[in-house]
Amino acid sequence: MILRPGIKERLHATSVLTRLRIIETFLSPGLYIVMSLGLVLGHILIYYFVRGIDSSGFDFSLNSVYDFIGRSLEGAFGRTILEKIFADGPFFFAFYISFLPALIFLSINSVFHLGLEKKVGALELLIYGPVDTTACFLAFFLKDIFFSLINLGVLFLFYTITAALNNLWLGPAVLFALIPLIFLSAAVYAYGIFTSTLTDNSASAIALFAGIMIFFLIVMMGSFAIVSGYIRSLSTVFAWIVKWFSPVFYWGLVIEALEVQNWPMYIVNSIALLVLCAILMMGSHFILRARGVQS
Amino acid sequence: MIRAVKIIISSLLFLLATSMQGIGQVPVRKEQLVYSIMAFNGRDYSRTFAGENADAIYLISNIDNFLGVCKTLVYFWPITGEWKTNLSVLNIPFEGTLQISGYRRELKNLKSTPYTFYNVRGEYELNWKVAKGEEAYRVWEHYQELMDAYRESVRQYQREINNYRERLNELTSRITRMRDEGKDVTGLIEKMKELKPPQEPDFPRDYIIPPSPVSKGFIVNLPPGKYSLRFITDEGELMQGSEIEMVVFDRRRAGSVGFEVIPGDKWTRPVESKPPAQVLYVNGSADLYLRPFFMDEYNDLYYEKMRKNDARGNPNLMKWVRVQQIPGARIFILKRGHELEVILEEPYFVEQLKGTSLGYRIIPYDPMGAHRGLDPSLIAFRVPIGNYDRIIDLRIEDKNGRILKNGTRQIRVIHPSRKGFLALTFAVLPFIVMALIYIQRYRVSKCSIKS
Repeated sequence: MILRPGIKERLHATSVLTRLRIIETFLSPGLYIVMSLGLVLGHILIYYFVRGIDSSGFDFSLNSVYDFIGRSLEGAFGRTILEKIFADGPFFFAFYISFLPALIFLSINSVFHLGLEKKVGALELLIYGPVDTTACFLAFFLKDIFFSLINLGVLFLFYTITAALNNLWLGPAVLFALIPLIFLSAAVYAYGIFTSTLTDNSASAIALFAGIMIFFLIVMMGSFAIVSGYIRSLSTVFAWIVKWFSPVFYWGLVIEALEVQNWPMYIVNSIALLVLCAILMMGSHFILRARGVQS
Repeated sequence: MIRAVKIIISSLLFLLATSMQGIGQVPVRKEQLVYSIMAFNGRDYSRTFAGENADAIYLISNIDNFLGVCKTLVYFWPITGEWKTNLSVLNIPFEGTLQISGYRRELKNLKSTPYTFYNVRGEYELNWKVAKGEEAYRVWEHYQELMDAYRESVRQYQREINNYRERLNELTSRITRMRDEGKDVTGLIEKMKELKPPQEPDFPRDYIIPPSPVSKGFIVNLPPGKYSLRFITDEGELMQGSEIEMVVFDRRRAGSVGFEVIPGDKWTRPVESKPPAQVLYVNGSADLYLRPFFMDEYNDLYYEKMRKNDARGNPNLMKWVRVQQIPGARIFILKRGHELEVILEEPYFVEQLKGTSLGYRIIPYDPMGAHRGLDPSLIAFRVPIGNYDRIIDLRIEDKNGRILKNGTRQIRVIHPSRKGFLALTFAVLPFIVMALIYIQRYRVSKCSIKS
């Protein structure tokens, strides 16, 4: 018979498991590789941005890296989005690009491990002890948040140094755009855990998670794409239904609120991301309670 | 075998002939009921039309826009990828009633009204006026009178200048003749000096854009919202194909300041700094000439479709639209380590460099000296950029000394340096940390094996 622990026991178990997961991640090479990859990507973006400046300002056509980025973004979303992204320099774009490898790594890593531990019976073993399933996935979630904060801190330090070295402006708008990144990451990790609880093994969990994320991204990109007529009406209706489940939708609203400096909406939409995250975690909790951890 | 070759050759020739026919084809023109649209775009009026394929008509709210209903030929012009009308071949305007209905809004029945629109000269560029009904005819007549008077004064001038030239020629030949005869010509020279050429009449400067010829149309001025539009004929029947949606939209933000940035070394290729948070990064190789302007923010898709109904746009993005200039403004510039400096709008003249090499220089305009009789090439605020400037803060005030909304910018002078490469060493820092951890773990495991 499985005993259900109280809040205190669950918190204790979560903190112990989180610590273990953190140490485990610290000792594995993956995180360092993706962090370095992110930083190198960021460095390339800044390096070529600086070399794309002439007497009239920044010109995308002056080097091949930004020529490619500019053409791709302009072709898909129009000139306006390009102006907005690079309004106060390269940092908004560079921050998001260099954050992405760690975000993908951490989320996939958790999805994979949760699925694997379920498959091999490690979770089952744990829950016959003093730990319950909620504490198990909460540990994964907290570990991911912890490393996201570290990654963000490292990136911030890196870009502060880069800005100082190149006389670039790392303004408050960029910093305010980083805060929702944490909430967005939390929602993405929550989706990862949710998909793990829905599936029986790592492969299907990763496939489902990647599918959902790509789907949300396509819907979001579709809403920003330049289209007209029937396709626009159809995609608008479709996007309207799906967007309420999409973390990138709320993130987009936060960024929009930031652009017009509508601080109440900035906070409300940030909270909405956390609410989405909480709903997914609750969903995971109930699914695991109903299905158990046996695959 | 020969027969097969013949068949293949004739087939190829047939294909070639048919494809050549395709190249020479004119676009298919289709008779359609269209709404002709004269929409105010925040700066001036844009002419477009909504045909059968249009999803909606897009207009800016709370301003007069003009619609007309007519039957014409519509065709797709593949070279520019645009839908066009052929009004010269078929243009049947319809008289009737335009019915506009909207959610929780009263049904509006509009009758066509004569109208004209024009932009009068004032302090700002935008002084658009709309004259409706009888007033439209009065305005048009006034403009015609003004132009007639101008044409008359031009004719008068032509007569006077001809007389003047004739008189001048006559005096010149008389002086030459008398001089040849050895007579005194002092009196005639004095007379010639007294001759003054007639003053050329000025073109009427009342209008920046003169009134358009009076047209009849439906004047639509509505609050923001989505409406349904349909056309009812004078017989009280609904015109087939006239039902269409109408999107009336407002700007999201207004009165922000943007800058047209003209680098001294590329004065024919200005760039615009529109997002209010924008930092101007330059390499400092040339001075900057700035022209500030007011701008409003509109939905990208709505705005583009309002200007051109078959245009494409981004429904989820807002774009800044340049509206008009800022008269009498002052720009304060602050360079690090320097005192606050005020710069004013000044005229400049672009001079081609002498010699065979290409190039030019921008110098202050001198109307009384070297540039007499010439117009300035550019009127702008000059921001000098020195070799050692790194950060320059700009702030713009209007003529009343009021700091304008979003009227601040920062110019950063960027010189790519090798120091930027230092960041790359920082980028591989996680790898170094990983290596240290692995070395430490290796040592610990080695020690434990030994022990």
